[in-house]
Amino acid sequence: MARGDRRGRWRRAVGPPLVVFALGFAGPAPTVAQAPSSKLVVSGPLQLPKGPARAGFEIGRLNSENYGAFEPFYVTETQPLGKAFEDGKVAADTRLLVTETAAGRLALLTDQMAYHHLAQGRAGGKDWMATF
Amino acid sequence: MGIHDALFVMQDAETKTLWNHITGEAVYGPLVGRNIGPLSNLLHMSVKQALATDSAMRVAISEQVYFAGGRRFGTASRAARVGGGGSGEGRRLGPSPDNPNAAMTDRFAATLGTEDTRRPRMEIGLGVWTGTTARYYPIDRIRARGEAFIDRIDGKTMLVYVEAVSNTPAALFVSARSAAREGSAVRLDDGSKVESGVLTDRTGRRRPVERPQQMFTRWYGFSLTFPGCQVYGDDR
Repeated sequence: MARGDRRGRWRRAVGPPLVVFALGFAGPAPTVAQAPSSKLVVSGPLQLPKGPARAGFEIGRLNSENYGAFEPFYVTETQPLGKAFEDGKVAADTRLLVTETAAGRLALLTDQMAYHHLAQGRAGGKDWMATF
Repeated sequence: MGIHDALFVMQDAETKTLWNHITGEAVYGPLVGRNIGPLSNLLHMSVKQALATDSAMRVAISEQVYFAGGRRFGTASRAARVGGGGSGEGRRLGPSPDNPNAAMTDRFAATLGTEDTRRPRMEIGLGVWTGTTARYYPIDRIRARGEAFIDRIDGKTMLVYVEAVSNTPAALFVSARSAAREGSAVRLDDGSKVESGVLTDRTGRRRPVERPQQMFTRWYGFSLTFPGCQVYGDDR
Protein backbone atom coordinates (compact mmCIF):
# COMPACT_ATOMS: atom_id res chain seq x y z
CA MET A 1 0.00 0.00 0.00
CA ALA A 2 1.31 3.41 -0.89
CA ARG A 3 2.45 5.67 1.87
CA GLY A 4 0.54 8.84 2.56
CA ASP A 5 -1.79 10.65 4.88
CA ARG A 6 -4.11 8.08 6.37
CA ARG A 7 -7.25 10.15 6.34
CA GLY A 8 -6.51 11.31 2.84
CA ARG A 9 -5.90 7.81 1.67
CA TRP A 10 -9.20 6.44 2.86
CA ARG A 11 -11.05 9.34 1.31
CA ARG A 12 -9.97 8.33 -2.13
CA ALA A 13 -13.33 6.62 -2.17
CA VAL A 14 -14.14 4.08 -4.75
CA GLY A 15 -12.68 5.30 -7.98
CA PRO A 16 -14.30 5.66 -11.38
CA PRO A 17 -17.75 4.41 -10.63
CA LEU A 18 -18.53 2.77 -13.89
CA VAL A 19 -15.51 0.55 -13.97
CA VAL A 20 -14.82 -0.55 -10.44
CA PHE A 21 -16.94 -3.66 -10.73
CA ALA A 22 -16.01 -4.39 -14.31
CA LEU A 23 -14.61 -7.83 -13.69
CA GLY A 24 -13.96 -9.37 -17.03
CA PHE A 25 -12.10 -12.64 -16.89
CA ALA A 26 -9.44 -12.16 -19.47
CA GLY A 27 -6.29 -14.23 -19.63
CA PRO A 28 -4.27 -14.54 -16.46
CA ALA A 29 -1.61 -12.01 -15.63
CA PRO A 30 1.30 -12.88 -13.38
CA THR A 31 0.73 -10.16 -10.85
CA VAL A 32 -1.96 -7.84 -9.63
CA ALA A 33 -1.10 -4.19 -9.62
CA GLN A 34 -2.90 -0.90 -9.46
CA ALA A 35 -2.32 2.29 -11.36
CA PRO A 36 -1.50 5.34 -9.24
CA SER A 37 -4.68 6.54 -7.62
CA SER A 38 -3.57 9.88 -6.21
CA LYS A 39 -5.95 11.65 -8.55
CA LEU A 40 -8.75 10.02 -6.58
CA VAL A 41 -7.78 11.58 -3.28
CA VAL A 42 -10.69 13.40 -1.73
CA SER A 43 -10.05 15.74 1.15
CA GLY A 44 -12.19 17.90 3.35
CA PRO A 45 -15.58 17.24 4.83
CA LEU A 46 -18.10 14.80 3.49
CA GLN A 47 -19.86 16.12 0.41
CA LEU A 48 -23.24 14.78 -0.56
CA PRO A 49 -25.08 15.51 -3.79
CA LYS A 50 -28.63 16.80 -3.65
CA GLY A 51 -30.08 13.56 -4.93
CA PRO A 52 -31.96 12.04 -6.56
CA ALA A 53 -32.56 8.94 -4.46
CA ARG A 54 -33.42 5.49 -5.65
CA ALA A 55 -36.72 4.22 -4.27
CA GLY A 56 -36.22 2.94 -0.74
CA PHE A 57 -33.14 5.03 -0.05
CA GLU A 58 -33.80 7.79 2.47
CA ILE A 59 -30.91 10.15 2.89
CA GLY A 60 -32.23 11.07 6.34
CA ARG A 61 -31.38 7.55 7.50
CA LEU A 62 -27.80 7.76 6.34
CA ASN A 63 -25.33 7.69 9.21
CA SER A 64 -22.05 9.18 8.03
CA GLU A 65 -20.41 9.78 11.40
CA ASN A 66 -17.79 7.19 10.49
CA TYR A 67 -16.65 9.13 7.48
CA GLY A 68 -12.88 9.05 7.90
CA ALA A 69 -12.85 6.07 10.23
CA PHE A 70 -11.86 3.52 7.64
CA GLU A 71 -8.97 3.18 5.33
CA PRO A 72 -9.72 1.29 2.12
CA PHE A 73 -7.02 -1.09 1.03
CA TYR A 74 -5.50 0.02 -2.27
CA VAL A 75 -3.81 -3.08 -3.51
CA THR A 76 -0.56 -2.40 -5.30
CA GLU A 77 1.13 -5.72 -4.87
CA THR A 78 0.23 -9.32 -4.24
CA GLN A 79 2.09 -12.52 -3.57
CA PRO A 80 1.36 -16.19 -4.14
CA LEU A 81 -0.80 -17.48 -1.31
CA GLY A 82 1.21 -20.70 -1.23
CA LYS A 83 4.43 -18.75 -0.72
CA ALA A 84 2.83 -16.65 2.02
CA PHE A 85 1.80 -19.90 3.70
CA GLU A 86 5.28 -21.41 3.38
CA ASP A 87 6.77 -18.24 4.81
CA GLY A 88 4.43 -18.37 7.78
CA LYS A 89 2.67 -15.10 6.92
CA VAL A 90 -0.63 -16.93 6.97
CA ALA A 91 -1.63 -20.16 8.72
CA ALA A 92 -3.75 -23.02 7.41
CA ASP A 93 -6.72 -21.74 9.36
CA THR A 94 -6.30 -18.04 8.56
CA ARG A 95 -9.61 -16.77 7.31
CA LEU A 96 -9.78 -15.33 3.82
CA LEU A 97 -12.20 -13.56 1.55
CA VAL A 98 -11.65 -14.69 -2.01
CA THR A 99 -12.65 -12.67 -5.03
CA GLU A 100 -12.14 -13.00 -8.76
CA THR A 101 -10.14 -10.51 -10.74
CA ALA A 102 -9.23 -10.47 -14.40
CA ALA A 103 -5.86 -11.90 -13.36
CA GLY A 104 -7.30 -14.77 -11.35
CA ARG A 105 -8.46 -15.39 -7.81
CA LEU A 106 -7.26 -13.04 -5.14
CA ALA A 107 -7.43 -13.59 -1.38
CA LEU A 108 -7.78 -10.88 1.23
CA LEU A 109 -7.39 -11.47 4.94
CA THR A 110 -10.78 -11.39 6.64
CA ASP A 111 -9.36 -9.78 9.75
CA GLN A 112 -7.81 -6.98 7.72
CA MET A 113 -10.97 -6.48 5.70
CA ALA A 114 -12.89 -6.10 8.95
CA TYR A 115 -10.96 -2.87 9.25
CA HIS A 116 -10.66 -1.77 5.62
CA HIS A 117 -14.14 -2.87 4.52
CA LEU A 118 -13.16 -2.05 0.96
CA ALA A 119 -10.27 -3.21 -1.18
CA GLN A 120 -9.64 -2.21 -4.75
CA GLY A 121 -7.02 -2.49 -7.38
CA ARG A 122 -6.38 -3.23 -10.99
CA ALA A 123 -5.54 -6.62 -12.42
CA GLY A 124 -5.30 -7.99 -15.91
CA GLY A 125 -6.17 -4.59 -17.30
CA LYS A 126 -9.40 -4.29 -15.34
CA ASP A 127 -10.31 -2.57 -12.11
CA TRP A 128 -11.67 -4.68 -9.30
CA MET A 129 -13.20 -3.99 -5.95
CA ALA A 130 -14.24 -6.08 -2.97
CA THR A 131 -16.37 -4.91 -0.07
CA PHE A 132 -16.99 -6.54 3.27
CA MET B 1 -18.56 6.21 3.89
CA GLY B 2 -21.77 5.69 5.78
CA ILE B 3 -24.44 3.30 6.94
CA HIS B 4 -27.98 2.91 5.61
CA ASP B 5 -30.27 0.00 6.46
CA ALA B 6 -27.42 -1.00 8.80
CA LEU B 7 -25.31 -1.77 5.74
CA PHE B 8 -22.30 0.07 4.48
CA VAL B 9 -22.76 2.53 1.65
CA MET B 10 -19.94 3.55 -0.68
CA GLN B 11 -19.30 6.89 -2.29
CA ASP B 12 -17.38 7.46 -5.48
CA ALA B 13 -14.86 10.26 -5.55
CA GLU B 14 -15.83 11.72 -8.91
CA THR B 15 -19.58 12.29 -8.68
CA LYS B 16 -20.19 11.75 -4.93
CA THR B 17 -22.88 9.26 -5.84
CA LEU B 18 -23.67 6.72 -3.11
CA TRP B 19 -23.64 3.06 -4.07
CA ASN B 20 -25.05 -0.16 -2.65
CA HIS B 21 -22.04 -2.39 -2.11
CA ILE B 22 -24.00 -5.62 -2.55
CA THR B 23 -25.92 -4.97 -5.73
CA GLY B 24 -23.68 -2.30 -7.22
CA GLU B 25 -26.65 0.01 -7.72
CA ALA B 26 -26.40 3.76 -7.41
CA VAL B 27 -28.76 4.68 -4.56
CA TYR B 28 -28.31 8.43 -4.20
CA GLY B 29 -26.83 11.08 -6.44
CA PRO B 30 -26.46 11.91 -10.09
CA LEU B 31 -25.80 8.34 -11.23
CA VAL B 32 -29.01 6.85 -9.80
CA GLY B 33 -30.28 4.34 -12.32
CA ARG B 34 -26.79 3.07 -13.05
CA ASN B 35 -25.24 -0.14 -11.80
CA ILE B 36 -21.55 -0.93 -11.62
CA GLY B 37 -22.02 -4.68 -11.68
CA PRO B 38 -21.48 -7.48 -12.30
CA LEU B 39 -20.13 -8.15 -8.86
CA SER B 40 -17.75 -10.90 -8.02
CA ASN B 41 -18.62 -13.22 -5.18
CA LEU B 42 -16.59 -12.74 -2.05
CA LEU B 43 -16.21 -16.26 -0.71
CA HIS B 44 -15.23 -17.16 2.85
CA MET B 45 -12.40 -19.68 2.94
CA SER B 46 -9.50 -20.78 5.07
CA VAL B 47 -6.01 -20.76 3.62
CA LYS B 48 -6.10 -24.53 3.43
CA GLN B 49 -9.34 -24.45 1.50
CA ALA B 50 -8.17 -21.64 -0.76
CA LEU B 51 -5.02 -23.48 -1.76
CA ALA B 52 -7.03 -26.60 -2.48
CA THR B 53 -9.33 -24.53 -4.64
CA ASP B 54 -6.59 -22.80 -6.58
CA SER B 55 -2.91 -23.41 -5.93
CA ALA B 56 -2.08 -20.34 -8.02
CA MET B 57 -4.21 -18.02 -5.90
CA ARG B 58 -2.55 -14.79 -4.84
CA VAL B 59 -3.04 -12.86 -1.65
CA ALA B 60 -2.91 -9.15 -0.86
CA ILE B 61 -1.84 -8.27 2.66
CA SER B 62 -2.06 -4.71 3.93
CA GLU B 63 -0.18 -3.00 6.74
CA GLN B 64 -3.06 -3.55 9.14
CA VAL B 65 -2.18 -5.75 12.11
CA TYR B 66 -3.31 -9.36 11.97
CA PHE B 67 -2.40 -12.62 13.67
CA ALA B 68 -1.54 -15.93 12.03
CA GLY B 69 -0.10 -19.04 13.55
CA GLY B 70 0.27 -17.30 16.89
CA ARG B 71 2.40 -14.51 15.42
CA ARG B 72 1.62 -10.84 14.99
CA PHE B 73 2.05 -9.19 11.61
CA GLY B 74 1.55 -5.69 10.27
CA THR B 75 2.40 -2.26 11.56
CA ALA B 76 -0.85 -0.31 11.46
CA SER B 77 -3.04 -1.03 14.44
CA ARG B 78 -6.04 1.21 14.12
CA ALA B 79 -9.13 -0.65 15.18
CA ALA B 80 -12.30 -0.26 13.21
CA ARG B 81 -14.80 1.95 14.97
CA VAL B 82 -17.67 0.20 13.34
CA GLY B 83 -17.28 -3.46 12.69
CA GLY B 84 -18.06 -5.70 9.83
CA GLY B 85 -16.45 -8.91 10.99
CA GLY B 86 -12.94 -10.15 11.59
CA SER B 87 -11.52 -10.98 14.96
CA GLY B 88 -10.74 -7.55 16.37
CA GLU B 89 -12.93 -4.88 17.83
CA GLY B 90 -14.91 -4.79 14.64
CA ARG B 91 -15.96 -8.37 15.05
CA ARG B 92 -16.97 -7.87 18.64
CA LEU B 93 -19.10 -4.86 17.87
CA GLY B 94 -20.27 -5.43 14.36
CA PRO B 95 -23.23 -7.25 12.86
CA SER B 96 -21.14 -9.24 10.41
CA PRO B 97 -22.62 -12.74 9.96
CA ASP B 98 -19.44 -14.40 11.16
CA ASN B 99 -19.94 -12.84 14.56
CA PRO B 100 -22.22 -15.30 16.35
CA ASN B 101 -22.82 -13.00 19.30
CA ALA B 102 -23.56 -9.81 17.45
CA ALA B 103 -26.27 -7.49 18.61
CA MET B 104 -27.21 -4.50 16.54
CA THR B 105 -26.19 -1.25 18.16
CA ASP B 106 -28.52 1.72 18.29
CA ARG B 107 -26.31 3.47 15.79
CA PHE B 108 -26.94 0.79 13.22
CA ALA B 109 -30.59 0.31 14.13
CA ALA B 110 -31.37 3.98 13.60
CA THR B 111 -30.57 3.58 9.92
CA LEU B 112 -32.99 0.72 9.31
CA GLY B 113 -36.00 1.09 7.08
CA THR B 114 -39.17 -0.96 7.41
CA GLU B 115 -37.99 -4.43 8.26
CA ASP B 116 -39.31 -7.72 6.93
CA THR B 117 -40.43 -9.58 10.04
CA ARG B 118 -40.73 -13.04 8.50
CA ARG B 119 -37.39 -13.97 10.06
CA PRO B 120 -35.43 -12.70 13.10
CA ARG B 121 -33.45 -9.59 12.32
CA MET B 122 -30.04 -11.00 13.23
CA GLU B 123 -30.53 -14.52 11.92
CA ILE B 124 -27.71 -15.66 9.69
CA GLY B 125 -28.05 -17.48 6.41
CA LEU B 126 -27.07 -17.65 2.80
CA GLY B 127 -28.49 -15.16 0.34
CA VAL B 128 -28.50 -16.15 -3.33
CA TRP B 129 -29.68 -13.97 -6.16
CA THR B 130 -29.95 -13.94 -9.92
CA GLY B 131 -31.31 -11.33 -12.26
CA THR B 132 -34.85 -12.38 -11.39
CA THR B 133 -34.78 -14.28 -8.11
CA ALA B 134 -33.46 -13.55 -4.64
CA ARG B 135 -33.68 -16.33 -2.08
CA TYR B 136 -32.57 -16.53 1.54
CA TYR B 137 -31.59 -19.82 3.19
CA PRO B 138 -31.76 -19.65 7.00
CA ILE B 139 -28.75 -21.44 8.45
CA ASP B 140 -30.98 -23.57 10.67
CA ARG B 141 -32.86 -24.84 7.63
CA ILE B 142 -29.60 -25.66 5.86
CA ARG B 143 -28.47 -27.60 8.90
CA ALA B 144 -31.85 -29.33 9.15
CA ARG B 145 -31.28 -30.65 5.64
CA GLY B 146 -28.04 -32.27 6.73
CA GLU B 147 -25.93 -29.28 5.69
CA ALA B 148 -26.18 -30.30 2.04
CA PHE B 149 -29.12 -30.43 -0.33
CA ILE B 150 -30.17 -29.69 -3.87
CA ASP B 151 -32.40 -26.78 -4.78
CA ARG B 152 -33.33 -25.11 -8.05
CA ILE B 153 -33.14 -21.47 -8.95
CA ASP B 154 -34.21 -20.04 -12.28
CA GLY B 155 -34.26 -23.52 -13.76
CA LYS B 156 -30.74 -24.37 -12.68
CA THR B 157 -29.79 -27.06 -10.18
CA MET B 158 -27.87 -25.79 -7.22
CA LEU B 159 -26.11 -27.40 -4.27
CA VAL B 160 -26.60 -25.52 -1.01
CA TYR B 161 -24.23 -26.66 1.70
CA VAL B 162 -22.06 -25.71 4.64
CA GLU B 163 -18.35 -25.61 3.89
CA ALA B 164 -16.90 -27.85 6.58
CA VAL B 165 -13.59 -26.04 6.97
CA SER B 166 -14.86 -22.48 7.14
CA ASN B 167 -18.27 -23.45 8.56
CA THR B 168 -19.96 -21.01 6.21
CA PRO B 169 -22.90 -21.70 3.89
CA ALA B 170 -22.29 -21.64 0.17
CA ALA B 171 -23.91 -22.61 -3.11
CA LEU B 172 -22.72 -23.83 -6.47
CA PHE B 173 -24.36 -25.17 -9.59
CA VAL B 174 -24.29 -28.94 -10.09
CA SER B 175 -26.08 -31.54 -12.19
CA ALA B 176 -27.02 -33.94 -9.38
CA ARG B 177 -30.44 -34.66 -7.89
CA SER B 178 -29.42 -35.30 -4.29
CA ALA B 179 -26.55 -34.55 -1.96
CA ALA B 180 -25.33 -35.81 1.38
CA ARG B 181 -22.63 -34.80 3.80
CA GLU B 182 -19.77 -37.29 3.94
CA GLY B 183 -17.24 -36.13 6.48
CA SER B 184 -15.85 -32.82 5.34
CA ALA B 185 -17.07 -33.44 1.80
CA VAL B 186 -20.46 -33.41 0.10
CA ARG B 187 -21.21 -36.46 -2.02
CA LEU B 188 -23.61 -36.04 -4.94
CA ASP B 189 -25.72 -38.79 -6.46
CA ASP B 190 -24.05 -38.45 -9.85
CA GLY B 191 -20.77 -39.56 -8.28
CA SER B 192 -19.29 -36.12 -8.04
CA LYS B 193 -17.96 -34.64 -4.82
CA VAL B 194 -17.43 -31.20 -3.35
CA GLU B 195 -14.67 -30.73 -0.82
CA SER B 196 -12.95 -27.52 0.20
CA GLY B 197 -14.82 -25.79 -2.58
CA VAL B 198 -13.42 -28.16 -5.20
CA LEU B 199 -15.82 -30.09 -7.42
CA THR B 200 -14.59 -33.43 -8.76
CA ASP B 201 -16.44 -35.91 -10.97
CA ARG B 202 -16.87 -39.63 -10.33
CA THR B 203 -13.38 -40.31 -11.68
CA GLY B 204 -11.85 -37.75 -9.33
CA ARG B 205 -11.20 -35.28 -12.12
CA ARG B 206 -11.56 -31.66 -11.19
CA ARG B 207 -14.49 -29.83 -12.75
CA PRO B 208 -14.97 -26.09 -13.14
CA VAL B 209 -17.10 -24.53 -10.42
CA GLU B 210 -19.88 -22.13 -11.30
CA ARG B 211 -21.49 -20.27 -8.45
CA PRO B 212 -24.53 -18.02 -8.30
CA GLN B 213 -24.21 -14.61 -6.74
CA GLN B 214 -24.28 -15.23 -3.03
CA MET B 215 -23.45 -13.83 0.33
CA PHE B 216 -23.18 -15.05 3.89
CA THR B 217 -25.55 -12.59 5.47
CA ARG B 218 -27.94 -11.63 8.18
CA TRP B 219 -31.65 -11.59 7.46
CA TYR B 220 -32.07 -7.85 7.84
CA GLY B 221 -29.32 -7.13 5.34
CA PHE B 222 -30.56 -9.47 2.67
CA SER B 223 -34.25 -8.67 3.07
CA LEU B 224 -33.67 -4.93 2.99
CA THR B 225 -31.46 -5.28 -0.06
CA PHE B 226 -33.89 -7.59 -1.83
CA PRO B 227 -37.36 -6.66 -0.54
CA GLY B 228 -39.86 -9.48 -0.80
CA CYS B 229 -37.14 -12.09 -1.34
CA GLN B 230 -38.02 -15.75 -1.20
CA VAL B 231 -37.23 -17.69 1.97
CA TYR B 232 -36.21 -21.29 1.55
CA GLY B 233 -38.66 -23.51 3.38
CA ASP B 234 -41.54 -21.06 3.19
CA ASP B 235 -44.24 -21.51 0.60
CA ARG B 236 -43.38 -19.90 -2.67
